[in-house]
Amino acid sequence: MIEFRNVSASYAEELPVLRDVSFTVPDGDFVAFVGTNGAGKSTTMRLVNGLLKPTSGEVLIDGASTRDLKTSELAAKVGFLFQNPDRQICCETVREELLFGFKVLGRADSEAEARVDAMIERFGFDADAEPFLLNRGTRQLLALASIIVMEPPVVVLDEPTTGLDFRECGKVMDAIAAMNARGTTVIMVCHDMEVVGDYARRVIAMTAGQVVADGPTFEVLRDRAVLERAHLLPPQVAGVSMRLGEELAGCAGTPVAWANTLDEMERALADAVGSSATRGEDAR
Amino acid sequence: MSGGFLEYVPGDSFLHRMNPVAKLASAFLLVIACFATSSPALLALVLVVDAVLAARCDMVAQTIGLAKAVCAFSLLLALIALLFTPSGDVLVALPWGYVGTGSIGAAVLIVVRLVACAVPLFLVFYVTKLTDMANAIVKVLHVPYKYAFAFTSTVRFIPVFMNDMAGIMEAQTARGVEFDGSLAKRIRLMVPLCVPLLVSSVRKTNSAAIAAEVRGFNLRTRESGYKDYPFATIDVAAMAASAALVAAAVALGLLL
Repeated sequence: MIEFRNVSASYAEELPVLRDVSFTVPDGDFVAFVGTNGAGKSTTMRLVNGLLKPTSGEVLIDGASTRDLKTSELAAKVGFLFQNPDRQICCETVREELLFGFKVLGRADSEAEARVDAMIERFGFDADAEPFLLNRGTRQLLALASIIVMEPPVVVLDEPTTGLDFRECGKVMDAIAAMNARGTTVIMVCHDMEVVGDYARRVIAMTAGQVVADGPTFEVLRDRAVLERAHLLPPQVAGVSMRLGEELAGCAGTPVAWANTLDEMERALADAVGSSATRGEDAR
Repeated sequence: MSGGFLEYVPGDSFLHRMNPVAKLASAFLLVIACFATSSPALLALVLVVDAVLAARCDMVAQTIGLAKAVCAFSLLLALIALLFTPSGDVLVALPWGYVGTGSIGAAVLIVVRLVACAVPLFLVFYVTKLTDMANAIVKVLHVPYKYAFAFTSTVRFIPVFMNDMAGIMEAQTARGVEFDGSLAKRIRLMVPLCVPLLVSSVRKTNSAAIAAEVRGFNLRTRESGYKDYPFATIDVAAMAASAALVAAAVALGLLL
């Protein structure tokens, strides 16, 4: 479990970037941090794995304060995917890159080799390829794979889909969702509300270094006041459904006004059209 | 120096206002003076000049920090001089020679010389906008713009690469690498990180070159710059004073 207790943080002598932030992430949760640039999301992520220590308050990982642990010690518990994969990749082949984490932690045994082989097969990597010659999406996938191959209980992702096309984005996010389904806690910073709506179960919205909303994904993303305060737009289907519910009297209070996903909207519209057709037939 | 390493710090001191070419020339003359002499008195004089310049542009604390960093770096060279320059009265006998009174003098001289010559060079970058430096080199020295641009880009990229290296080290720390411990261990851990740094440097340089090219970089000539960089009395005086120090250093070298 990850616990932030009244955490404030700043860089060097600058003003606090994070102010009195508190939240708890239970094991196995999938949380997305949303908000504008400079809201404090990435700083929050850096606090989770100890790259930054709080100036006041406590960050607890399974009850242990990050103040008492080095980032390298936290690495076994918290995997961190950086926005730029090129900062993470440092080995000469894909296989070595995937094995790197095991070597650092002194666990490069036959089990590690087996996990690496499975990961290579799962993502269709060329084991002997030079990582820096791969395209951007594949490098991002490799950086993610090199984290999840370690099977850490918590994974922190700082904008994992930046610069990826739709197909690459789906591949990366499906891998993350599968990991979460196996019990890994996922904490993600994301600007793409479609991705947030599709994958996260909980959203924490931040602005100016403070949490402004924390709740189930669509509860937060359908709250007009929160959206305005955090300068966010809801996912498109949710946005359409909100407007239909607010502006078309016939839709208010119907499933059309609550639909969050394409499937929900399709069902709601089919029901609405069906019942209107029935009403038409009745009238005739 | 409130910004990054070698990044311009705005100000209104006489050093800020001086002609960029005069600043560069004076700094290089001071470097020559430092290397042309072994006189402790002259090196002390250059240090005093450094201190006055730092005080005039309100960078005393930062200059002390810089001097400390240069000191730490030059200690390695000083150690080599101490162990491998046997001269003067024997103080400690070594299997390959000895450490003498002269060895200590040589070691101290290395540290003082490097600090004395580094401070003015670094100050030039902190009190001069890189665009002004490039334009002045083109306008005054008639250096083709592409060479001036290459020079200033090199300087401009230093903090960028330092930031990249810090990011790469941070990413590896997050994967479990411990960068603390002995110097040898740290160097061993940092060597593989040169690969991502090199790759990111090449990518950045390539992107910058393409961006410059598509914005008409090759069309730029000496006449493209709007601003002129005439020499003022202070510029001539600064260069004359620095040249006098070089002459004094050479003369002292011949006399001693």
